[in-house]
Amino acid sequence: MHELNLYGQVTYPRYEQVLNILAGVAAMQPQRVYERRIIYKPLREPEEPGANLGRRGGTQTVAQKAKQQAAPVVLYYTYLTQKLTEDDFFAQDSVNSLSAWVEDGEEPVWSQAFYDVPDTGDRGVSIRFTNTTDLLSGDPHAHMIASGPNQFVTEFYEEGYRFVHGNVIIFLHRMLHEPGARNIQKSPKVKIPAWADLQLVDPSGAYVFDATVRVEDFNNAVVLEAGVNELKKFQTQMKGCVNLALPDRLALDTRVKYKPSPAPATQARPR
Amino acid sequence: MMDSLGSVTLRPWPAPQEELSQEDLLFKIEQLASERGHLRNITEQSLQEDIDAGKHVPEATVEADSADLDEKEKDAPSGQDQRDKVFKAAQEMYSHLEWAKFAATNALDLVSLVLSQDPNKRSLTFFSPNFRDQGLNQGIPFGSFGISRENHEHHNRRPEEVQRMQDLEHRQKVVAQGARMGALDSAVDEILKAAKHLEKEMRRETKYWHEIVSVSDKGWPIQRLRQNARHAPFAVRYGLPEASDHFKARGFAPLQMDKDGSIILDPTLALKPKTFRVRVSVDGNITGTSQLSVEDDFANQSLEKSIQLARDSLLEEELYYEMSLEVRHLLAYGVDFRDSVIYVDAPRLGNASQDRKLLIDCIPRNDPVAGGQGHEHDWLARNVAEALRLLLAHEHSMRLYRRSQLPPPLTARTREKPPPPLLRTLLAVIRHVEGVDSLYVYLGLVTKTLYTAGLDVALNTTRETAWASLAETLKASRKDLSATDQLLEIFMKPFDGKATLTLPTSNGVQPETLTVVTRTIIGQPTFGTEHKLTLSSAMTSDLGLFHQHKFATVEEVKSYLDWLISLHITHRLLKSEYSSYAQIRSQDPRLTVRCKESKKGEPSLKDIKVQLNDGQLKATLMAADSPPESDDAEQSHTWSGPDDNAALREVIRNWVG
Repeated sequence: MHELNLYGQVTYPRYEQVLNILAGVAAMQPQRVYERRIIYKPLREPEEPGANLGRRGGTQTVAQKAKQQAAPVVLYYTYLTQKLTEDDFFAQDSVNSLSAWVEDGEEPVWSQAFYDVPDTGDRGVSIRFTNTTDLLSGDPHAHMIASGPNQFVTEFYEEGYRFVHGNVIIFLHRMLHEPGARNIQKSPKVKIPAWADLQLVDPSGAYVFDATVRVEDFNNAVVLEAGVNELKKFQTQMKGCVNLALPDRLALDTRVKYKPSPAPATQARPR
Repeated sequence: MMDSLGSVTLRPWPAPQEELSQEDLLFKIEQLASERGHLRNITEQSLQEDIDAGKHVPEATVEADSADLDEKEKDAPSGQDQRDKVFKAAQEMYSHLEWAKFAATNALDLVSLVLSQDPNKRSLTFFSPNFRDQGLNQGIPFGSFGISRENHEHHNRRPEEVQRMQDLEHRQKVVAQGARMGALDSAVDEILKAAKHLEKEMRRETKYWHEIVSVSDKGWPIQRLRQNARHAPFAVRYGLPEASDHFKARGFAPLQMDKDGSIILDPTLALKPKTFRVRVSVDGNITGTSQLSVEDDFANQSLEKSIQLARDSLLEEELYYEMSLEVRHLLAYGVDFRDSVIYVDAPRLGNASQDRKLLIDCIPRNDPVAGGQGHEHDWLARNVAEALRLLLAHEHSMRLYRRSQLPPPLTARTREKPPPPLLRTLLAVIRHVEGVDSLYVYLGLVTKTLYTAGLDVALNTTRETAWASLAETLKASRKDLSATDQLLEIFMKPFDGKATLTLPTSNGVQPETLTVVTRTIIGQPTFGTEHKLTLSSAMTSDLGLFHQHKFATVEEVKSYLDWLISLHITHRLLKSEYSSYAQIRSQDPRLTVRCKESKKGEPSLKDIKVQLNDGQLKATLMAADSPPESDDAEQSHTWSGPDDNAALREVIRNWVG
């Protein structure tokens, strides 16, 4: 699945007005959304560029020449998303472990998400590959640690409002985190912290305006074009209310920066 | 001198070193002469002295220029101003002289021309040369200019002339006055007219706004219009927000301004409102209708009322429209569409011979209710109509709900909107209730009969499992859907009825259960009502039958259950009672028992046949190995009602001994 994105910003004094406008545009009431997002970093060493070429013997090199074009393996940060409700922040009951278990037919609560770096093409919207896998049972954190192997990086919370306008998903949200707790944490909190303990990452209270169209048949030009056009149409529709802009591609980079640990002396380049 | 000075300053400094041409050299010499005097007096030393003394222009040359300017030398800062002054004075003097000359010649020419009237005094020499050239030679004749002297002071007009002039003056005055009065008059008229118009407009606007406000106060959304804003600045939106596209577009009407400001209804609003009618027909006779007689007059009713009627009409029309589309898929279910009327089969419980149908159509609201028809089924027609309306309203709110969910990612396949299940739901309810009820009446009868026959049978029926647990479902309500919608959503799902029949067993410890699940779906996979009979595992193994059976009609279930229960009684209950004496010889519900009744001690074989039919239990004793169809019963007993108290086991024991 691919995601087409446009971003904007809504300052706190304006957000109520924008909510009203969006409710009119989408002809629906806003849906309150609470989410917890946990970031994982892969622990695996990425394969060294060119390591797969087989430099051992002459004959082997000849045989494997076709493989030389393979791109070096890059590692990406991945997300774990937990859907929350407002009650979760006030729940008093103590739980012992995380569980993604849901009843049949219920919406999954936990999901694992992968976002690629946005495409380089210039279509006026940001396009990137994403993959979301719903987790239906088990401890999601254990799953993430085992499949990778991954390392817990940090967690944060998102609260906001969602609208659906045709195929455009409008998500007006802001990020919260628990101050101080981040550095000492080694795993996601089992108990959701109280709402009062959370702090906005952006203290001004501004909301992020995220307009998304999801495209399944990315290779079908007609479908992609339709998606891009719908998003752009929404962009023009919102002109004067919220300025929707194409984000900087590298600001949305999800790759893990690779630092080879033992740097050989010969590789030190004179400056 | 001034020119030459100017040209010096304009020169680039230092002067180019190039060789001066001859003209340039001459020019320089001239310049030098005018500035410094004769060439001979100019030496390097004298120039140096001049520079040291701060003098640009040597005094000597100024002195040499004119002696009488010497006194003014102190006032004038430089010789140049002096020269300017002189030049100007000379020019002024020259122009004065020119002027004087011009005036003199003019005077001369004039006098000469006047004099030239006299032929004796005609001569070209009298004139100035200029006039001679440009005047006389160009054709001005002599004597063409005359001078005379007259006295006008004592000129008196004649009296009649004076009179006439006074008359004229007077008349003009009167005319002017009249014209002014006329203009004022018409101005007053115009202003009055404008005032009247303004007043009318004001009244009109006030009335229009009053009506707009009253419409708006009633809660109708008012919207501004862009086109035709002069006559219809506002429009009212009365259509339901989630109606299908065609009807949504119709739910909108401009509010036009009348001559007196009242709102004229747009044609769409003024259209005859329609209503949706359900009629019940039994054997071709109408026995009930949902239509209510409407006596109010459409011409003079309030605006809000007619907007409301238009809204209602829109809903009814949409309902009818959606159903007529749905009919196309439902022909196999006995739904028919003829002459704009939808015919739906609605068989009645236990009365299969009666041909009961629902007739659904859409008629103008104020059509008179047809007389001469029965009213005993009015309740049914009204309930069906209300149910269908509720279903469409539910569909509307479900449309909003679906729209609010995250849309699936875009693909090449377009998402198709399924038509709302209105008739399907109606059909499913009718069929399910009919099927379940007839089955359960039968099961109840069987239970009663078996009970009177001394068999411990229990029946537990649920017409629809979701309806039964409705309260619990709604209590644990979801936040995103209102209770009404959750309630109606239950009707969109397949209907499941469940009946459990508990049969006695020989040891009496573990009762055997028969479960009949009745599932109704108008569509895949059952295409109607399906009865699924589930046997207990002991029964399955003892009788050698399949664990599950599916039946399409109630009749099939009945006959199978009849056979199954009689088989259970004979092959399991009676067999275990007479375990060693009994023998099963066929798949029919009959048991061959060795009787002890013969006194010789030779046992005779008798067959006991048990039949369950239409709620009647019949046990027959007959000779062994008689053909199944034979009627030569030696003894028989029939249980058909509660009044019989003989237990089956007792009866058979009496027979068998």
